[in-house]
Amino acid sequence: MPRYAMVIDQERCVGCQSCTVACKSEWEVPNGSARTKVRQTGTVGQFPKLSTAFYVSQCNHCDRPTCVPACPTGATYQDQNGVVRVNRDLCIGCGSCVAACPYGARYINAEIGKVDKCDFCASRLSRGLQPACVATCPAHAKIFGDLEDSSSDVFQFVYRGAAKRMETANIAIGPNVYYAGKPEHAELALASFAPLPPRTLAPGKVWSSLLNKFVFLAVGATFLGQAVAFFHQLSTGEKQFEE
Amino acid sequence: MAQRHIKKHHVAIVLLHWFNAISWLLELSTGAGLIVSPYYRFAPMWYLQMMEGVFGSRANMLRFHIAVGLTWTAVFLVYAIFGFRNYLRIEVLQNEIGLDRDDVRWLRVRTLLLLGRTKDPLPPQGVYNAGQKLFALLVYTMVPLIMLTGLTMTFHWFGTAFVAWAMVLHFFAVGMVVSGLMIHVYMGAVFPEEKPAFYSMITGVVDELYAYRHHFKWWRSVKIQQQAWRAELTSKEEAIGTDEKPHQDPRTDAAPLISRPQSGDRR
Repeated sequence: MPRYAMVIDQERCVGCQSCTVACKSEWEVPNGSARTKVRQTGTVGQFPKLSTAFYVSQCNHCDRPTCVPACPTGATYQDQNGVVRVNRDLCIGCGSCVAACPYGARYINAEIGKVDKCDFCASRLSRGLQPACVATCPAHAKIFGDLEDSSSDVFQFVYRGAAKRMETANIAIGPNVYYAGKPEHAELALASFAPLPPRTLAPGKVWSSLLNKFVFLAVGATFLGQAVAFFHQLSTGEKQFEE
Repeated sequence: MAQRHIKKHHVAIVLLHWFNAISWLLELSTGAGLIVSPYYRFAPMWYLQMMEGVFGSRANMLRFHIAVGLTWTAVFLVYAIFGFRNYLRIEVLQNEIGLDRDDVRWLRVRTLLLLGRTKDPLPPQGVYNAGQKLFALLVYTMVPLIMLTGLTMTFHWFGTAFVAWAMVLHFFAVGMVVSGLMIHVYMGAVFPEEKPAFYSMITGVVDELYAYRHHFKWWRSVKIQQQAWRAELTSKEEAIGTDEKPHQDPRTDAAPLISRPQSGDRR
Protein backbone atom coordinates (compact mmCIF):
# COMPACT_ATOMS: atom_id res chain seq x y z
CA MET A 1 0.00 0.00 0.00
CA PRO A 2 1.49 3.37 -0.97
CA ARG A 3 1.90 6.23 1.48
CA TYR A 4 1.42 9.38 -0.49
CA ALA A 5 3.30 12.53 0.35
CA MET A 6 4.15 15.82 -1.27
CA VAL A 7 7.31 17.88 -1.21
CA ILE A 8 7.26 21.59 -1.92
CA ASP A 9 10.60 22.97 -2.98
CA GLN A 10 10.49 26.53 -1.70
CA GLU A 11 13.59 27.42 -3.64
CA ARG A 12 11.86 26.62 -6.92
CA CYS A 13 8.50 28.17 -6.05
CA VAL A 14 8.05 31.60 -7.62
CA GLY A 15 4.59 32.26 -6.17
CA CYS A 16 2.81 32.26 -9.52
CA GLN A 17 -0.43 30.70 -8.10
CA SER A 18 -0.67 28.29 -11.06
CA CYS A 19 -1.37 25.51 -8.59
CA THR A 20 -4.14 27.55 -6.98
CA VAL A 21 -5.81 28.14 -10.33
CA ALA A 22 -5.40 24.54 -11.49
CA CYS A 23 -6.92 23.29 -8.26
CA LYS A 24 -9.81 25.72 -8.36
CA SER A 25 -10.71 24.80 -11.91
CA GLU A 26 -10.27 21.09 -11.28
CA TRP A 27 -12.51 21.07 -8.22
CA GLU A 28 -14.86 23.99 -8.92
CA VAL A 29 -13.83 25.73 -5.74
CA PRO A 30 -16.06 28.77 -5.14
CA ASN A 31 -14.70 32.31 -5.05
CA GLY A 32 -13.05 33.28 -1.81
CA SER A 33 -12.05 29.71 -0.94
CA ALA A 34 -9.15 27.50 -1.92
CA ARG A 35 -7.99 23.95 -1.41
CA THR A 36 -4.45 25.12 -1.95
CA LYS A 37 -2.91 28.52 -2.27
CA VAL A 38 0.48 30.19 -2.21
CA ARG A 39 1.08 32.61 0.61
CA GLN A 40 4.01 34.99 0.93
CA THR A 41 5.75 35.64 4.20
CA GLY A 42 6.57 39.24 3.35
CA THR A 43 10.04 40.71 3.35
CA VAL A 44 12.18 40.33 6.42
CA GLY A 45 15.68 41.41 7.37
CA GLN A 46 17.76 44.53 6.87
CA PHE A 47 18.66 45.90 3.46
CA PRO A 48 20.60 44.60 1.60
CA LYS A 49 20.17 41.25 3.39
CA LEU A 50 16.47 40.81 2.68
CA SER A 51 14.66 37.55 2.32
CA THR A 52 11.17 36.23 1.67
CA ALA A 53 9.55 32.84 1.20
CA PHE A 54 6.54 31.33 -0.47
CA TYR A 55 4.46 28.96 1.57
CA VAL A 56 2.11 26.62 -0.27
CA SER A 57 -0.69 25.78 2.13
CA GLN A 58 -2.95 22.80 1.66
CA CYS A 59 -4.12 19.71 3.51
CA ASN A 60 -1.10 17.92 4.98
CA HIS A 61 -2.73 14.47 5.20
CA CYS A 62 -1.24 14.11 8.66
CA ASP A 63 -0.26 10.82 10.26
CA ARG A 64 -2.41 11.68 13.30
CA PRO A 65 -5.08 13.96 11.83
CA THR A 66 -7.00 16.05 14.35
CA CYS A 67 -9.87 16.55 11.91
CA VAL A 68 -10.82 12.85 11.76
CA PRO A 69 -11.86 12.38 15.41
CA ALA A 70 -13.50 15.81 15.37
CA CYS A 71 -15.95 14.79 12.64
CA PRO A 72 -19.17 13.64 14.36
CA THR A 73 -20.47 11.52 11.49
CA GLY A 74 -17.20 10.03 10.29
CA ALA A 75 -17.44 11.87 6.97
CA THR A 76 -13.75 12.74 7.33
CA TYR A 77 -11.65 9.62 7.25
CA GLN A 78 -8.14 8.50 6.36
CA ASP A 79 -7.55 6.11 3.53
CA GLN A 80 -5.10 3.23 3.82
CA ASN A 81 -2.72 5.21 1.62
CA GLY A 82 -2.70 8.06 4.13
CA VAL A 83 -4.91 10.45 2.17
CA VAL A 84 -7.42 12.21 4.43
CA ARG A 85 -10.70 12.42 2.55
CA VAL A 86 -14.23 13.70 2.99
CA ASN A 87 -17.29 11.60 2.22
CA ARG A 88 -19.75 14.22 1.07
CA ASP A 89 -22.70 11.88 1.55
CA LEU A 90 -22.00 11.88 5.28
CA CYS A 91 -20.88 15.48 5.78
CA ILE A 92 -23.48 17.74 7.41
CA GLY A 93 -21.30 20.85 7.20
CA CYS A 94 -21.01 21.48 10.94
CA GLY A 95 -17.51 22.90 10.66
CA SER A 96 -16.02 20.87 13.56
CA CYS A 97 -13.14 19.70 11.37
CA VAL A 98 -12.48 23.21 10.05
CA ALA A 99 -11.81 24.35 13.61
CA ALA A 100 -9.80 21.23 14.41
CA CYS A 101 -7.29 21.64 11.56
CA PRO A 102 -4.08 23.36 12.73
CA TYR A 103 -3.22 24.34 9.14
CA GLY A 104 -6.49 26.00 8.12
CA ALA A 105 -6.65 23.61 5.19
CA ARG A 106 -10.42 23.16 5.23
CA TYR A 107 -13.31 25.40 4.25
CA ILE A 108 -17.08 25.05 4.07
CA ASN A 109 -18.28 25.11 0.47
CA ALA A 110 -21.29 27.40 0.88
CA GLU A 111 -22.77 26.26 -2.45
CA ILE A 112 -23.19 22.67 -1.29
CA GLY A 113 -23.13 23.22 2.47
CA LYS A 114 -20.38 20.69 2.99
CA VAL A 115 -16.72 20.79 3.87
CA ASP A 116 -14.07 20.60 1.17
CA LYS A 117 -10.30 20.29 1.12
CA CYS A 118 -7.37 18.86 -0.79
CA ASP A 119 -7.50 15.08 -1.21
CA PHE A 120 -4.34 14.86 -3.37
CA CYS A 121 -6.77 14.74 -6.33
CA ALA A 122 -7.88 11.24 -5.33
CA SER A 123 -9.90 10.76 -8.51
CA ARG A 124 -6.89 11.68 -10.65
CA LEU A 125 -4.64 9.36 -8.62
CA SER A 126 -7.02 6.47 -9.28
CA ARG A 127 -6.64 7.17 -13.00
CA GLY A 128 -2.84 7.15 -12.67
CA LEU A 129 -2.49 10.92 -12.98
CA GLN A 130 -0.60 13.36 -10.81
CA PRO A 131 -2.55 15.88 -8.72
CA ALA A 132 -3.63 18.88 -10.80
CA CYS A 133 -1.38 21.32 -8.95
CA VAL A 134 1.67 19.09 -9.42
CA ALA A 135 0.97 18.60 -13.12
CA THR A 136 0.54 22.36 -13.59
CA CYS A 137 3.46 23.76 -11.57
CA PRO A 138 5.78 25.36 -14.17
CA ALA A 139 8.81 25.29 -11.88
CA HIS A 140 8.32 21.69 -10.69
CA ALA A 141 8.23 23.04 -7.18
CA LYS A 142 5.58 20.52 -6.19
CA ILE A 143 6.75 16.93 -6.12
CA PHE A 144 4.29 14.17 -5.42
CA GLY A 145 4.89 10.48 -4.84
CA ASP A 146 4.97 7.42 -2.66
CA LEU A 147 7.04 7.37 0.52
CA GLU A 148 7.07 3.57 0.46
CA ASP A 149 8.80 3.58 -2.91
CA SER A 150 12.54 4.17 -2.41
CA SER A 151 12.97 5.20 -6.05
CA SER A 152 10.42 7.99 -5.88
CA ASP A 153 11.42 11.65 -5.79
CA VAL A 154 9.62 12.29 -2.54
CA PHE A 155 11.50 9.43 -0.91
CA GLN A 156 14.78 11.02 -2.01
CA PHE A 157 13.73 14.42 -0.69
CA VAL A 158 12.35 13.17 2.63
CA TYR A 159 14.80 10.45 3.59
CA ARG A 160 17.97 11.46 1.73
CA GLY A 161 17.49 15.22 1.64
CA ALA A 162 16.55 17.82 4.17
CA ALA A 163 12.82 18.22 3.54
CA LYS A 164 11.10 19.43 6.70
CA ARG A 165 7.67 19.04 8.17
CA MET A 166 5.80 22.16 9.14
CA GLU A 167 5.65 21.27 12.83
CA THR A 168 6.24 23.04 16.12
CA ALA A 169 7.10 21.59 19.50
CA ASN A 170 3.44 21.76 20.56
CA ILE A 171 1.73 20.80 17.33
CA ALA A 172 3.34 17.76 15.79
CA ILE A 173 0.73 15.57 14.15
CA GLY A 174 2.88 14.22 11.34
CA PRO A 175 2.03 16.32 8.29
CA ASN A 176 2.88 14.62 5.00
CA VAL A 177 3.54 17.75 3.02
CA TYR A 178 7.26 18.43 3.33
CA TYR A 179 9.13 21.63 2.59
CA ALA A 180 12.51 21.51 0.87
CA GLY A 181 14.88 24.24 -0.20
CA LYS A 182 16.94 26.63 1.86
CA PRO A 183 16.44 26.02 5.62
CA GLU A 184 15.80 29.72 6.21
CA HIS A 185 12.81 29.57 3.84
CA ALA A 186 11.20 26.83 5.86
CA GLU A 187 11.97 28.65 9.11
CA LEU A 188 10.52 31.86 7.74
CA ALA A 189 7.37 30.11 6.59
CA LEU A 190 7.02 28.36 9.94
CA ALA A 191 7.45 31.65 11.80
CA SER A 192 4.80 33.34 9.67
CA PHE A 193 2.27 30.52 9.24
CA ALA A 194 2.83 28.31 12.28
CA PRO A 195 0.21 25.62 12.84
CA LEU A 196 -2.44 26.70 15.34
CA PRO A 197 -3.69 24.55 18.21
CA PRO A 198 -6.76 22.52 17.18
CA ARG A 199 -9.95 24.26 18.30
CA THR A 200 -13.27 22.87 19.45
CA LEU A 201 -16.34 24.84 18.40
CA ALA A 202 -18.45 26.47 21.12
CA PRO A 203 -21.33 23.94 20.72
CA GLY A 204 -18.86 21.09 21.14
CA LYS A 205 -17.50 22.69 24.33
CA VAL A 206 -21.01 23.22 25.70
CA TRP A 207 -21.84 19.61 24.89
CA SER A 208 -18.79 18.10 26.56
CA SER A 209 -18.84 20.37 29.60
CA LEU A 210 -22.59 20.63 30.28
CA LEU A 211 -25.15 19.03 27.99
CA ASN A 212 -23.76 15.51 27.90
CA LYS A 213 -23.60 15.41 31.70
CA PHE A 214 -27.23 16.55 31.79
CA VAL A 215 -28.29 13.85 29.34
CA PHE A 216 -26.36 11.05 31.02
CA LEU A 217 -27.67 12.13 34.43
CA ALA A 218 -31.28 12.20 33.22
CA VAL A 219 -31.07 8.90 31.37
CA GLY A 220 -29.15 7.28 34.22
CA ALA A 221 -31.60 8.49 36.86
CA THR A 222 -34.67 7.25 35.00
CA PHE A 223 -32.96 3.97 34.20
CA LEU A 224 -32.12 3.49 37.87
CA GLY A 225 -35.65 4.45 38.90
CA GLN A 226 -37.22 1.97 36.56
CA ALA A 227 -34.76 -0.73 37.62
CA VAL A 228 -35.81 -0.19 41.24
CA ALA A 229 -39.47 -0.36 40.22
CA PHE A 230 -38.85 -3.51 38.20
CA PHE A 231 -37.15 -5.33 41.07
CA HIS A 232 -39.90 -4.20 43.39
CA GLN A 233 -42.38 -5.64 40.90
CA LEU A 234 -40.44 -8.92 40.77
CA SER A 235 -40.23 -9.18 44.55
CA THR A 236 -43.91 -8.46 45.21
CA GLY A 237 -45.21 -10.47 42.27
CA GLU A 238 -48.09 -9.54 39.98
CA LYS A 239 -51.62 -9.61 41.18
CA GLN A 240 -54.41 -9.86 38.66
CA PHE A 241 -55.97 -6.46 38.82
CA GLU A 242 -59.10 -6.78 36.76
CA GLU A 243 -60.71 -9.89 38.21
CA MET B 1 -65.48 -10.39 34.76
CA ALA B 2 -66.30 -8.56 31.57
CA GLN B 3 -66.32 -4.83 31.97
CA ARG B 4 -68.08 -2.11 30.06
CA HIS B 5 -65.66 -0.04 28.04
CA ILE B 6 -65.02 3.65 27.84
CA LYS B 7 -63.46 5.02 24.69
CA LYS B 8 -60.14 6.65 25.48
CA HIS B 9 -58.27 7.14 22.21
CA HIS B 10 -59.46 8.09 18.74
CA VAL B 11 -58.31 5.62 16.09
CA ALA B 12 -56.20 8.40 14.52
CA ILE B 13 -54.33 8.78 17.81
CA VAL B 14 -53.77 5.03 18.03
CA LEU B 15 -52.33 4.96 14.52
CA LEU B 16 -50.24 8.08 15.15
CA HIS B 17 -48.88 6.59 18.37
CA TRP B 18 -47.62 3.44 16.67
CA PHE B 19 -46.30 5.35 13.67
CA ASN B 20 -44.44 7.51 16.16
CA ALA B 21 -43.16 4.48 18.07
CA ILE B 22 -41.82 2.81 14.93
CA SER B 23 -40.25 6.08 13.76
CA TRP B 24 -38.51 6.51 17.13
CA LEU B 25 -37.23 2.96 17.07
CA LEU B 26 -35.76 3.44 13.58
CA GLU B 27 -34.40 6.91 14.28
CA LEU B 28 -32.80 5.98 17.59
CA SER B 29 -31.17 2.84 16.20
CA THR B 30 -29.79 4.56 13.10
CA GLY B 31 -28.95 7.79 14.93
CA ALA B 32 -26.86 5.90 17.49
CA GLY B 33 -25.06 4.17 14.63
CA LEU B 34 -24.26 7.47 12.90
CA ILE B 35 -22.35 9.15 15.73
CA VAL B 36 -18.77 7.96 15.35
CA SER B 37 -16.73 10.87 16.72
CA PRO B 38 -15.15 9.85 20.04
CA TYR B 39 -16.32 13.23 21.39
CA TYR B 40 -19.98 12.29 20.91
CA ARG B 41 -20.14 8.54 20.46
CA PHE B 42 -21.96 6.45 23.05
CA ALA B 43 -22.84 3.26 21.15
CA PRO B 44 -20.21 0.48 21.29
CA MET B 45 -17.99 -0.10 18.28
CA TRP B 46 -19.57 -3.46 17.42
CA TYR B 47 -22.95 -1.74 17.20
CA LEU B 48 -21.61 0.85 14.74
CA GLN B 49 -20.11 -1.91 12.59
CA MET B 50 -23.30 -3.96 12.77
CA MET B 51 -25.47 -1.03 11.68
CA GLU B 52 -23.02 -0.18 8.90
CA GLY B 53 -23.29 -3.80 7.78
CA VAL B 54 -27.08 -3.72 7.87
CA PHE B 55 -27.27 -0.63 5.66
CA GLY B 56 -24.22 -1.35 3.51
CA SER B 57 -22.65 2.00 4.29
CA ARG B 58 -23.07 4.80 6.78
CA ALA B 59 -24.09 7.14 3.96
CA ASN B 60 -27.09 4.87 3.30
CA MET B 61 -27.85 4.87 7.00
CA LEU B 62 -27.81 8.67 7.04
CA ARG B 63 -30.13 8.78 4.01
CA PHE B 64 -32.49 6.40 5.78
CA HIS B 65 -32.31 8.43 9.00
CA ILE B 66 -33.14 11.60 7.08
CA ALA B 67 -35.95 9.95 5.08
CA VAL B 68 -37.66 8.58 8.19
CA GLY B 69 -37.10 11.85 10.05
CA LEU B 70 -38.61 13.93 7.25
CA THR B 71 -41.62 11.59 6.99
CA TRP B 72 -42.08 11.74 10.74
CA THR B 73 -41.87 15.54 10.71
CA ALA B 74 -44.26 15.78 7.76
CA VAL B 75 -46.85 13.52 9.39
CA PHE B 76 -46.81 15.54 12.60
CA LEU B 77 -46.96 18.76 10.59
CA VAL B 78 -50.09 17.51 8.83
CA TYR B 79 -51.48 16.44 12.17
CA ALA B 80 -50.76 19.88 13.59
CA ILE B 81 -52.33 21.67 10.63
CA PHE B 82 -55.55 19.64 10.62
CA GLY B 83 -55.78 18.99 14.32
CA PHE B 84 -54.64 22.18 15.95
CA ARG B 85 -58.17 23.53 16.50
CA ASN B 86 -59.10 20.29 18.24
CA TYR B 87 -55.97 19.74 20.22
CA LEU B 88 -54.41 23.12 20.87
CA ARG B 89 -57.20 24.21 23.21
CA ILE B 90 -56.75 25.21 26.82
CA GLU B 91 -59.02 22.42 28.11
CA VAL B 92 -57.17 19.79 26.10
CA LEU B 93 -53.76 21.10 27.10
CA GLN B 94 -54.93 21.26 30.70
CA ASN B 95 -55.80 17.56 30.40
CA GLU B 96 -52.51 16.70 28.76
CA ILE B 97 -49.84 18.80 30.46
CA GLY B 98 -51.47 20.91 33.20
CA LEU B 99 -50.42 19.66 36.64
CA ASP B 100 -52.87 20.32 39.48
CA ARG B 101 -52.52 19.72 43.22
CA ASP B 102 -53.68 16.09 42.93
CA ASP B 103 -51.03 15.48 40.27
CA VAL B 104 -48.24 16.75 42.49
CA ARG B 105 -49.44 14.55 45.32
CA TRP B 106 -49.78 11.63 42.89
CA LEU B 107 -46.14 11.94 41.85
CA ARG B 108 -45.02 11.76 45.47
CA VAL B 109 -47.27 8.82 46.39
CA ARG B 110 -46.47 6.96 43.17
CA THR B 111 -42.75 7.21 43.85
CA LEU B 112 -43.16 6.06 47.45
CA LEU B 113 -45.38 3.18 46.34
CA LEU B 114 -42.73 2.01 43.89
CA LEU B 115 -40.19 2.08 46.69
CA GLY B 116 -42.63 0.29 48.99
CA ARG B 117 -42.55 3.13 51.53
CA THR B 118 -46.27 3.94 51.76
CA LYS B 119 -49.70 2.38 51.68
CA ASP B 120 -51.54 5.60 50.80
CA PRO B 121 -54.05 5.42 47.96
CA LEU B 122 -53.15 7.30 44.80
CA PRO B 123 -54.88 10.66 44.45
CA PRO B 124 -57.56 10.81 41.73
CA GLN B 125 -56.32 11.52 38.23
CA GLY B 126 -57.72 12.97 35.04
CA VAL B 127 -57.61 11.30 31.63
CA TYR B 128 -53.81 11.30 31.89
CA ASN B 129 -51.94 10.76 35.13
CA ALA B 130 -49.24 13.09 36.38
CA GLY B 131 -46.42 10.94 35.05
CA GLN B 132 -47.95 10.94 31.59
CA LYS B 133 -48.40 14.71 31.85
CA LEU B 134 -44.75 15.24 32.77
CA PHE B 135 -43.68 13.06 29.86
CA ALA B 136 -46.02 14.96 27.52
CA LEU B 137 -44.54 18.24 28.73
CA LEU B 138 -41.05 16.97 27.99
CA VAL B 139 -42.09 15.66 24.58
CA TYR B 140 -43.97 18.84 23.63
CA THR B 141 -40.88 20.94 24.30
CA MET B 142 -38.25 18.59 22.91
CA VAL B 143 -39.91 17.21 19.76
CA PRO B 144 -40.16 20.59 17.98
CA LEU B 145 -36.50 21.11 18.89
CA ILE B 146 -35.60 17.72 17.44
CA MET B 147 -37.50 18.50 14.24
CA LEU B 148 -36.04 21.98 13.79
CA THR B 149 -32.47 20.90 14.49
CA GLY B 150 -32.88 17.88 12.21
CA LEU B 151 -34.15 20.08 9.39
CA THR B 152 -31.30 22.53 10.00
CA MET B 153 -28.74 19.76 9.63
CA THR B 154 -30.47 18.16 6.64
CA PHE B 155 -30.83 21.35 4.62
CA HIS B 156 -27.85 23.24 6.06
CA TRP B 157 -30.11 26.08 7.16
CA PHE B 158 -28.58 29.41 8.24
CA GLY B 159 -25.03 28.20 7.70
CA THR B 160 -22.31 26.32 9.51
CA ALA B 161 -22.60 27.88 12.98
CA PHE B 162 -26.28 26.97 13.17
CA VAL B 163 -25.63 23.43 11.99
CA ALA B 164 -22.98 22.95 14.68
CA TRP B 165 -25.41 24.13 17.38
CA ALA B 166 -28.26 22.14 15.85
CA MET B 167 -26.19 18.98 16.15
CA VAL B 168 -25.57 19.20 19.89
CA LEU B 169 -29.13 20.40 20.56
CA HIS B 170 -30.40 17.43 18.53
CA PHE B 171 -28.37 15.07 20.74
CA PHE B 172 -29.53 16.86 23.89
CA ALA B 173 -33.23 16.88 22.99
CA VAL B 174 -33.20 13.22 21.97
CA GLY B 175 -31.39 12.33 25.20
CA MET B 176 -34.00 14.15 27.26
CA VAL B 177 -36.86 12.36 25.50
CA VAL B 178 -35.10 9.02 25.88
CA SER B 179 -34.81 9.56 29.62
CA GLY B 180 -38.61 9.88 29.77
CA LEU B 181 -39.19 7.27 27.09
CA MET B 182 -37.63 4.56 29.22
CA ILE B 183 -40.24 5.15 31.94
CA HIS B 184 -42.98 5.49 29.33
CA VAL B 185 -42.13 2.12 27.78
CA TYR B 186 -41.62 0.43 31.13
CA MET B 187 -44.91 1.72 32.53
CA GLY B 188 -46.77 0.82 29.37
CA ALA B 189 -45.34 -2.56 28.52
CA VAL B 190 -43.94 -4.04 31.75
CA PHE B 191 -45.58 -2.42 34.77
CA PRO B 192 -48.59 -4.64 35.68
CA GLU B 193 -51.04 -2.04 36.95
CA GLU B 194 -50.91 0.06 33.79
CA LYS B 195 -51.37 -2.77 31.30
CA PRO B 196 -54.92 -1.65 30.40
CA ALA B 197 -53.37 1.66 29.30
CA PHE B 198 -51.10 -0.30 26.95
CA TYR B 199 -54.02 -2.24 25.47
CA SER B 200 -56.01 0.98 25.13
CA MET B 201 -53.33 2.11 22.68
CA ILE B 202 -54.37 -0.84 20.49
CA THR B 203 -58.13 -1.07 21.00
CA GLY B 204 -58.76 2.58 21.85
CA VAL B 205 -60.90 1.64 24.86
CA VAL B 206 -60.33 0.95 28.57
CA ASP B 207 -62.39 -0.98 31.08
CA GLU B 208 -64.63 1.11 33.28
CA LEU B 209 -63.13 -0.34 36.43
CA TYR B 210 -59.63 0.61 35.28
CA ALA B 211 -60.83 4.12 34.47
CA TYR B 212 -62.57 4.31 37.84
CA ARG B 213 -59.47 3.28 39.75
CA HIS B 214 -56.73 4.98 37.77
CA HIS B 215 -58.38 7.99 36.20
CA PHE B 216 -61.21 8.73 38.61
CA LYS B 217 -61.70 12.37 37.60
CA TRP B 218 -61.93 11.41 33.95
CA TRP B 219 -64.32 8.52 34.73
CA ARG B 220 -66.52 10.92 36.70
CA SER B 221 -66.62 13.46 33.90
CA VAL B 222 -67.53 10.73 31.40
CA LYS B 223 -70.34 9.55 33.69
CA ILE B 224 -71.64 13.10 34.14
CA GLN B 225 -71.65 13.53 30.37
CA GLN B 226 -73.55 10.28 29.93
CA GLN B 227 -76.10 11.32 32.56
CA ALA B 228 -76.62 14.65 30.89
CA TRP B 229 -77.01 12.96 27.53
CA ARG B 230 -79.57 10.49 28.90
CA ALA B 231 -81.52 13.25 30.62
CA GLU B 232 -81.61 15.21 27.38
CA LEU B 233 -82.90 12.22 25.42
CA THR B 234 -85.53 11.43 28.02
CA SER B 235 -86.79 14.98 28.11
CA LYS B 236 -87.02 15.00 24.32
CA GLU B 237 -89.11 11.82 24.36
CA GLU B 238 -91.38 13.25 26.98
CA ALA B 239 -91.86 16.35 24.91
CA ILE B 240 -92.76 14.26 21.83
CA GLY B 241 -94.99 12.07 23.98
CA THR B 242 -94.17 8.72 22.52
CA ASP B 243 -95.16 5.86 24.74
CA GLU B 244 -94.47 2.99 22.41
CA LYS B 245 -91.55 1.64 24.38
CA PRO B 246 -89.25 3.02 27.05
CA HIS B 247 -85.96 4.46 25.89
CA GLN B 248 -82.97 2.23 26.06
CA ASP B 249 -79.33 3.00 25.92
CA PRO B 250 -78.56 2.40 22.24
CA ARG B 251 -75.41 0.53 23.15
CA THR B 252 -77.27 -2.02 25.26
CA ASP B 253 -79.87 -2.78 22.61
CA ALA B 254 -77.33 -3.10 19.86
CA ALA B 255 -77.11 -6.47 18.16
CA PRO B 256 -75.21 -8.94 20.29
CA LEU B 257 -71.70 -9.54 19.11
CA ILE B 258 -72.08 -13.30 19.04
CA SER B 259 -75.38 -14.34 17.51
CA ARG B 260 -76.59 -17.76 16.64
CA PRO B 261 -76.20 -18.51 12.93
CA GLN B 262 -79.51 -18.07 11.17
CA SER B 263 -80.75 -20.59 8.64
CA GLY B 264 -79.42 -19.70 5.22
CA ASP B 265 -76.78 -17.49 6.80
CA ARG B 266 -73.57 -18.25 4.98
CA ARG B 267 -70.62 -17.11 6.99
